[in-house]
Amino acid sequence: MNRYLKLVNFELNRFRKIYVTLILLTLLSQIAAVLLLTKGYLNDAYETIKLENLTEKSYVLEYGGFDFTHITGSLLFLGPIALSAGALIFYIFLIWYRDWFGKNTFAYRLLMLPTSRVFVYLSKATAIFLMVLGLVAIQLMILPLENTIYEWMIPKTFLNYSMTIDSIINSNPLLRIIIPGTFSGFLINYGIGLMIMFILFAIILFERSYRIKGIIMGILYAAAVTAVFVTPLMAMGFEVIYLYPGELFGVLLILSILITGLTLWVSRWLIIKKITV
Amino acid sequence: MNSNFNTREPVYVQVIRYFKEQIAIGEIVAGEEIPSRRELAATLNINPNTAQKAYKEMEEQGLIHTERNFPSKITSDERILKSIRKELIFAAVESFVETIRPINVPIDELLQVVKEKYVNEGQEEETND
Amino acid sequence: MIEVKQISKKFGRKKILDGVSFTANKGEITCLIGINGVGKTTTLKAIMGLTPYSGDILIDNEKLTKHTYEKITFIPDAAIMLPQMTIKQAMEFMNDFYTVWNQDRADQMLEFFKLKLETRISELSKGNVAKVNLLMGLALDVDYILMDEPFSGIDMFSREQIADVFTSHLIEDRGVLITTHEISDIEHLIDKVVILDNGKVLKEFHTEDMRENEGKNVIDVMREVYRA
Repeated sequence: MNRYLKLVNFELNRFRKIYVTLILLTLLSQIAAVLLLTKGYLNDAYETIKLENLTEKSYVLEYGGFDFTHITGSLLFLGPIALSAGALIFYIFLIWYRDWFGKNTFAYRLLMLPTSRVFVYLSKATAIFLMVLGLVAIQLMILPLENTIYEWMIPKTFLNYSMTIDSIINSNPLLRIIIPGTFSGFLINYGIGLMIMFILFAIILFERSYRIKGIIMGILYAAAVTAVFVTPLMAMGFEVIYLYPGELFGVLLILSILITGLTLWVSRWLIIKKITV
Repeated sequence: MNSNFNTREPVYVQVIRYFKEQIAIGEIVAGEEIPSRRELAATLNINPNTAQKAYKEMEEQGLIHTERNFPSKITSDERILKSIRKELIFAAVESFVETIRPINVPIDELLQVVKEKYVNEGQEEETND
Repeated sequence: MIEVKQISKKFGRKKILDGVSFTANKGEITCLIGINGVGKTTTLKAIMGLTPYSGDILIDNEKLTKHTYEKITFIPDAAIMLPQMTIKQAMEFMNDFYTVWNQDRADQMLEFFKLKLETRISELSKGNVAKVNLLMGLALDVDYILMDEPFSGIDMFSREQIADVFTSHLIEDRGVLITTHEISDIEHLIDKVVILDNGKVLKEFHTEDMRENEGKNVIDVMREVYRA
C-alpha cells in the first residue's frame, strides 16, 4: 500500500510541469475572457449610446444586455477546458508509452519493483483520475472568482441577470458534463469516464504485450464491451424491450461494473504475465 | 602481469608459477604476507574463484600456510623454497630442450649459442631499463 | 542457483529460444555468449519476468514473484532511470522502493566510479550510463545480478573500471550472469560459459576446467561447436 502511494506521488510528479501549465493557462485565459469580453461589450455599448443618443436603458432594450453565459460560451473560456481534457486523454497513452520509448526505458525499473505490478497499473490510473478531479475542483473554485470580477465590472443596467454558480454551470453543456449537479450525475459521468480509461489502458496493455497483433486484440476487446454496454439502449431504441428510467439505470450500472471488473482482470493478467519490455 | 596470461593454460597454474618466480628472484621472501584472494584477483585482473583455487593449491604444496584468522604467509621452510628455484630452472630447461631436440644441434654448439644469447640479451635488457 | 529449463519463445514465426537450458550458480560469474540476435537478452528478460516464455525458470528453487525482485536484479545496456532525474534522485527512488537498497555500497560505488550526485541521467555518456546502471544494481543486496552486455560500446577506461568491479568485493559472493558477444577481454574474469546459437545452448562449461582438461580457451571451443 505504501509503495502504491509512493508510485501515485511519483506519477503525479512526472506530469507536474504540464499540469501546472494547464492550470495557469485555464486561469489566465478565463480571466482574460471575463475582462476582454466585458470590456468589449461595454465599449460597444457606450459607443452606440453616444452615436445614437440613447440612454443606457433604451440601449439594453434595443440591443440586449449582457450576462455570464456570454463569457462561458466564449472560446477563451471553453478553450482551456477542452485543451486540458485533450491533454489528459493524450496522457492516458503517454503515461504508458513514455516508459517504453525514448532513450531511457523506465519500464524496466517499474516492472522490476518489488511490488505488485497491479500497483504500477493502479498508480497510473489513480494519477490520471486525481488530475482530472483536480482540474475540475480548480474550475469550481475559480468560477465564483470570475463571476465576482464580472459583476464588479459590469454596471447593473447592462446586466440581464445575476447568476449563481449553479445556474452558470447548468447553462453550459460542457460545464454540465464536468460538474454534474447531482451526486448520481457525478457517479454516472465519472464512472463512465473511468470505465473508458480502463478500456483504453487495456488496449495499451494488449499492444505492449502482443505489439501489432495486440492493437487488433485491444480494439476487438473494446468493441465487444462497448457492444455489450449499448445493447440495452439499442434494445429500447428498437422497442424490443421497455425499461423504466430507474431500471435502465440499474442495468447500465450493473453492466458497467461487470465490464470494468473484467477489464481490470484482463489488464492484471496482461501486465503480470504477458507484457514485454 | 595483467594480460600476460595464456588463455589455454589454467589460470591458477599460471598464478602459482608467478608466485614461484617471485620467490625465486627474491621479490617475495620467506614468511612474507600475501594479498587476500580479493586483492590478488583485483591486481591480476582474474576471477576471485581462480585466485582462491591458486591459493588452495599453493597451500597443499606447502608454499603458503595460514593460521586461523591471519593473512596467509609464504612458508619459511628452506627446503621448499630451495626446491622452487630448482623446479623453475628444471621446467624451463625441459621445455627448451623439447623444442630444440628436433633440430639436432651438437651439444657443444648449442651450449655456445645459449651462452652468447643469455649473456648478450641479459645485457641488452639491462641497458633498456 | 538460477535454473533455466527448456525455455522457448517465438517472435512471430521465428523461434528466438528453442529449448534453452542452463544454470548459473551463486558465487560464480556465468557468461552467455553468442553473436547478436541469438536470444541472449531475451533469456535475461525471461528470467526477470519481462517477457513471456514457455518452459520453467527457477531462482533458488522458486518461481519468480514480486519478492524475487529483492533477490535478483537486472542491469540492461541502456539507461533505465528517468532522464530528468539526477543521480541523487535516482538513488532516492531506489531507496524508496527496495528494502535491500544498501546506501553504503551505493556511496562506495559513487566514489569508485567518480560520479557526481548532481549529474542528470540525460547528461551521462554511454560509459557513465553503464556505471550508473551498475551502481543501481550492485547497491541492492541481492543474490543474483544479470547484466546485458556490460562491456559493449563504451570507452576503454570505463571498461577497465567496470572490469575492476568484477574482481572487487562489490560483487561479493553473488551469482552474476552476463551476456557478451566479445569474450576475449573478459576471459579471465568469468567462471563459466554458456554458448548460445540459434536459440539453442551449444555448450556449457567452466573455463578453468576447459583449460585444465583440454587445453582450450573459449574461442577454441566456440570454433569447435559452431563448426559442428
